[in-house]
Amino acid sequence: MQAETRTTPLHSWHSARKATMGDFAGWNMPMWYPSGAVAEHRAVITHAGIFDTSHMEPILVNGPGSLDLLQHCFTRDLQACVGSGRTALKPGQCVYGAYLDERGGVIDDAIVYQFAEDSYMTVVNAGMGEIVAGHLRSHGEEFEARIATLPGAVGKMDLQGPLSAKILATVLRDPDRVLRDMGYFSFKGHFDHASAQADTTLADGTPILLSRTGYTGEFGFEIFVDARRVLDLWETILSAGRDFGLMACGLAARDSLRAGAVLPLSHQDIGPWPFINHPWSFALPFNKDQTSFTKRFMGDCVLEMRDTAEHTLPFVGYDPRKVLLHDRPVVLDRAGHEIGVVLTCVADMAIDRRGDRIVSMASPNAPDNFKPRGLSCGFIRVKMRREPGEVVVLRDSRRSIEVTIVEDIRPDRTARYPMNRMI
Amino acid sequence: MKEIDELELPGDVRYSATHEWARMSGDTVRVGISAYAQDRLGDITFVEIPQVGASFAQGERCGTLESAKALSELFMPVSGEVVAVNSSLEESPELINQEPYAGGWIIDVKPGNPAEWEILMTSDAYRKMLEGLE
Repeated sequence: MQAETRTTPLHSWHSARKATMGDFAGWNMPMWYPSGAVAEHRAVITHAGIFDTSHMEPILVNGPGSLDLLQHCFTRDLQACVGSGRTALKPGQCVYGAYLDERGGVIDDAIVYQFAEDSYMTVVNAGMGEIVAGHLRSHGEEFEARIATLPGAVGKMDLQGPLSAKILATVLRDPDRVLRDMGYFSFKGHFDHASAQADTTLADGTPILLSRTGYTGEFGFEIFVDARRVLDLWETILSAGRDFGLMACGLAARDSLRAGAVLPLSHQDIGPWPFINHPWSFALPFNKDQTSFTKRFMGDCVLEMRDTAEHTLPFVGYDPRKVLLHDRPVVLDRAGHEIGVVLTCVADMAIDRRGDRIVSMASPNAPDNFKPRGLSCGFIRVKMRREPGEVVVLRDSRRSIEVTIVEDIRPDRTARYPMNRMI
Repeated sequence: MKEIDELELPGDVRYSATHEWARMSGDTVRVGISAYAQDRLGDITFVEIPQVGASFAQGERCGTLESAKALSELFMPVSGEVVAVNSSLEESPELINQEPYAGGWIIDVKPGNPAEWEILMTSDAYRKMLEGLE
């Protein structure tokens, strides 16, 4: 963590737009704009939203030992991680996973991008660049890999929501070529104009790294660009998005969108405890019958902890009432016994219950004039396995709320929709 | 987030130190939260309102407001009995953000002690208090 609060190249823009600011992992970031976190959350479900994510940190990994180093440190098997056929990661593809310590605890989660043979980038969370880079360097000599952080040099913004491609198409050079074949977890281009991969540019020639990924569960992109061009790009996209209902969104909407999409927040839902028995088993290199891992890696001892480690489970409530994390809320079973802790509790304001179903504003079967009241949701960590459908109680110092353990939260998410449906 | 001088603080209501407003109307007092409170809380997503017929002392907790980030308490600006609640807030809690002094009212109270009114702040005094907070 930084002693001084850091700011992104868009800080003055946020302040001028009267964003409510707050500190997150050592960075002063917008929590929401005057339009409010509810409208921002819903815009990403129905139209599009753009997030300042320049607090995230890319790390470059280069050299003949890069693959072996990442195979040793990252939880995904880069030689068998793409698609149902489990093919090897190729240049232009990226994959989500985590870096574990020797006891199987999470150092941070990350995406690994492959530029070329022996050339990768991994993007980690705010404040984690030097920590993860140090972790990788401590194995670098053994593996002949060069690790470089890029402090302050690269900016990033996330354009998320079903209309993202339509908005992007208006600001890209040659949008048909760029977007046409972009599958989920693929990327194009490079933020460094000197790179051989810098073949994806804005209409004005600015090179970008365009990645079909995000942290909302909705269709969209993460866009990396030279930090000096961040403000230009942000304003260009916002201006292009005006006719598409695009809204600038803060971290509150980002948090509620990702929780509804069953995505973890690093250092909150995953952290220094064994990375096993959670909804993100896809981030571990399991073989097809889930009995072993397809490679050895640092922290693979988690496989032996399956019978003893605690379980992290998603839940959904019955209205938007939450328990407050700073109150250290606990989980009780129906008999009133304390069985665990609450990791995340937010309200997904785009969903509601209709009978025993959860319906989203994006659901094709949503009732006419559907106005969801929102549902609390998030993650709990409990001592024993609990089955979906079981009701538990979350309790903080002021209230108790009943919630149901579930496998999924917000239905009808768009993240994986084929590009030809979205353009 | 608005600057204090950008906040609407009407002169026809009185304010409590806990950011409720109270408007005298005949023999009842209408209660809501100030533009400052709704601005700092962000979107109100759920309101827990007392039942009609419940009585509370001045300053007593009488409900809760759920917002994007937090849960905050609603306190009685004057003591008395709740004689009406704004049922629109059940479906549309955002009225508190959109019209804090009109459609976003929360309860009507039959006041128990008229002298308590004088403890509440005028808009000028409330604005001065807010300037001291920031």
